[in-house]
Amino acid sequence: MIVRREIEERTGRNISIGAIYATLERLEAKGYVSSSTGDPTPERGGRAKRIFRVEAAGNRALQVSEQTLHSMTADSKGRLETI
Amino acid sequence: MSRYSPPAFACRLFQTVLPVPYRGALLGDLIEEYNLRAEATSESAATRWFWGQACRSIPCIMGSSLRNGDWLISVSTAVGVYAVMGTLKLAADFMIAKLVAPEPTAYVVLAPIVFLAFTSIGGCAAARIRFGTAVFLALFVMITVAVEIIAKACTITVPWWYEFGFLTLGPLSVLLTPVAFGVLKPNSNVS
Repeated sequence: MIVRREIEERTGRNISIGAIYATLERLEAKGYVSSSTGDPTPERGGRAKRIFRVEAAGNRALQVSEQTLHSMTADSKGRLETI
Repeated sequence: MSRYSPPAFACRLFQTVLPVPYRGALLGDLIEEYNLRAEATSESAATRWFWGQACRSIPCIMGSSLRNGDWLISVSTAVGVYAVMGTLKLAADFMIAKLVAPEPTAYVVLAPIVFLAFTSIGGCAAARIRFGTAVFLALFVMITVAVEIIAKACTITVPWWYEFGFLTLGPLSVLLTPVAFGVLKPNSNVS
């Protein structure tokens, strides 16, 4: 739920919780995140929370993605001004 | 404990369709946020949000499940249920045609009742054995009916809506009967 809200606040896009879980599942299969199960609570209808944690491989992949994105957008402002 | 309760049918739909790894945590997240939204806005707005999430989440999760290969087990189970269901249905059709209702008119009346009874029982059995199986079973039923319509397997002349009823109500009964009756695999709430 926190992940979904964080994305919604940062991007302004209303995304489905199913899309979040599907993505996290793929990231877990790749070893980028790991998950554990919390305690069931009455607020959740007696269902347990799934807690995700970013692993070292996930942090490395995130850094690579950031660098790639940065290098792709580094000159974009200047180029847009010249158009 | 909250005084708000999320739409029961949507919850059952989630529990019937979603694979085990997702079910408990995802439904818990939705219920928690539903309660927060119901307090912040109104219960009807929260219900709309819940249904919106259900409609958008189920295809994502089903797609993810297909990519993971979970679908192979579900398809195999669905094939098994379909084979048993089909054999019993053929036997029932034979009994009706030969013994109970040899007249075409009586057969036309009884055939959809028997068909829907079998698809409903098959859907419940599929949902009971393994979640997600009912979706594939519904697909098999739809394909079978479509093939029978195209091949004109029914020799009795019937209106178009009669055949269309089989095509739509058959798969729907496979999917919705286990949801409506809450037929779930034991320990389904444990995630």
